[in-house]
Amino acid sequence: MELSVQNCLDGVGISLLSEWDILMFVYRHGASLTSADRIARLIGYESRVVSDVLDRLEREKLIERSRPSQGVCFYRILASMDAGRWYCLRLLISLSESRSGRLQLAERLKTLWSDSGREQQAS
Amino acid sequence: MSEDALIKTGIKGLDSILLGGIPRTNVILVQGVTGSGKTLLGSEFIFRGIAQHNEPGLIVVFETNPDKLIRDAAGFGWNLDELQQQKKLQIIFTSPQVFEQELRSPDSLLLETASEMGAQRIFVDGVGLLNTNPDDSISVHRTYRELLQQLIESLNRENLTAMFSLELGNARDSIATAETTDFLADTVIQLGRERHGRRIQRSLEILKSRGQDYEAGEHTMQITGGRGLEIFRRVQAPLLAKSKQPTSSTMRSVIGVEAIDTLIGGGIFDGSTTMVVGVSGVGKTVLGTQILREGSLKQKTRGLLISLDEHPAQIIRNAQTLGLNLEEQVADGTIRILFESPQELDIDSHYARIVHLVEEHDIQRMVIDGMTSYSTAIGEIGVYRDFFHAMVAYSKQRLMTTFFNYENPEFLGISSYMPDFPLSSIVDNLILLSLVEINNSLHRCISVVKSRGSKHSFDTREFLIGQGGISLVPLEQNRVPALSLQSYSSLLSRAPTRFSLPNRINGAVTEQDKE
Repeated sequence: MELSVQNCLDGVGISLLSEWDILMFVYRHGASLTSADRIARLIGYESRVVSDVLDRLEREKLIERSRPSQGVCFYRILASMDAGRWYCLRLLISLSESRSGRLQLAERLKTLWSDSGREQQAS
Repeated sequence: MSEDALIKTGIKGLDSILLGGIPRTNVILVQGVTGSGKTLLGSEFIFRGIAQHNEPGLIVVFETNPDKLIRDAAGFGWNLDELQQQKKLQIIFTSPQVFEQELRSPDSLLLETASEMGAQRIFVDGVGLLNTNPDDSISVHRTYRELLQQLIESLNRENLTAMFSLELGNARDSIATAETTDFLADTVIQLGRERHGRRIQRSLEILKSRGQDYEAGEHTMQITGGRGLEIFRRVQAPLLAKSKQPTSSTMRSVIGVEAIDTLIGGGIFDGSTTMVVGVSGVGKTVLGTQILREGSLKQKTRGLLISLDEHPAQIIRNAQTLGLNLEEQVADGTIRILFESPQELDIDSHYARIVHLVEEHDIQRMVIDGMTSYSTAIGEIGVYRDFFHAMVAYSKQRLMTTFFNYENPEFLGISSYMPDFPLSSIVDNLILLSLVEINNSLHRCISVVKSRGSKHSFDTREFLIGQGGISLVPLEQNRVPALSLQSYSSLLSRAPTRFSLPNRINGAVTEQDKE
């Protein structure tokens, strides 16, 4: 199971807890007409972290954003995500619906975050 | 107003209350307390617009998680996800500030999306959140008013018919917000959620709607899993003159029940209303069953029996014991039985079900058994009276011959036809079924007290309930050991008195009497 979770995380291209949280925010809110600042306020991250993660998720072709208008954009999960990646994402979402699944994910992502993300977040 | 000028909500029952729909581009405000169904009404307005009228729409939410909105909608069978994929629907999660800024912006992403989709409807859930300043000063409300005006202007410019939801509260600022929004909106729909005893009743009232007429007053609203909202027009509303049906007829129909046909010579008028009054156990239900069965067999009329007391299976079984076989008529649909439990009875939806059955099956003869259970179930005398008046008016409009059974609480003799509900004057015919005590036994009697436009008998006649139902005891038959029923006077005044003249037989006055 652990291997499978890791495979799915790798398949989606997620390595940080902040990436997972922000990806899930965008997934759950469908089309969000908002700004990085507001997402940060709603999920309790620093604005700069959210901004960086949104950029990364867009580069990784996990989300899409519209042109900006007065500081806001439409953020959506990328509709044209490839099937394998979409399958992995659905598995992870399904896993995160239970507490034990969320713990597994958090543990995995936290480890990765501790290894490579701390400095990035702190900087 | 032409059909095209109206936007149909598509919500069951609502468009008929709105007399067809709401004028296009009217700004619609749906207000109510928490849990009154505002978000659901707005979501269904958008969903029905897409599904039934091919009018794409937007839902803008500030607080509700779109995920949950989609999940909740799925419980009503609405696949919002699919509609989003088809680009007919877009649910947008944003903040009030962004929304307000977007509507004023010339390069608004939201309006661009609306335009790309060809959206014709927009639902904004929680317009009160635009008034975020906690200060209750006049200037703040002026600002909110201006904001709302700008918002309405922007939506009108885009030819979007907008529906806003507004949560009502008791705080001063909430009341002021509501007053401002009410004033600016063209159509205001108020949703209610009130406790009646231990149950909750939902209601819908149109407070105003510019540019159109509508059915005023408080209507019942129900939320049904797997379907959505349903609005039931309040029963007390006067019937709209939709058709030019006559409300009276000169045609008489033989009822087919000897007891009635004998006492009302030549039958009763089609479309007349009859109240059958009597104590419990005197035979009202049997008479009702017989009226429907005889009508079906001899007159080929389609009948409806409505009961709040007995389940159809029990009605059929009891009738069977008297040789009145209803099974065949029920099976072939010539007689229908509507049973609803008096507990939790919602009178508006019950009335709507009756109307639906009558119209779907072209019912010509109806028996309501009985009115006393309605009195208990409804509780409010005003609503009970409205139901009865509506039922009478509807029966007359359709020329449907209707019988109402009313259980009089007085056991022997009566001092009033309908003690808790003096409405006997609005029916055309009044039949009393009484119990009288002679010697040490009870006898059943029938009297016709009133029959408008008919030369009816004022004789009180004894009847029996046996195989075949109710039958009159022949006048010449002397069932009582010494004297027949006709040998007594004051039968209905709780003091039957035997005539002293021994030669008065069968109620006839003899030559000897005259002398």
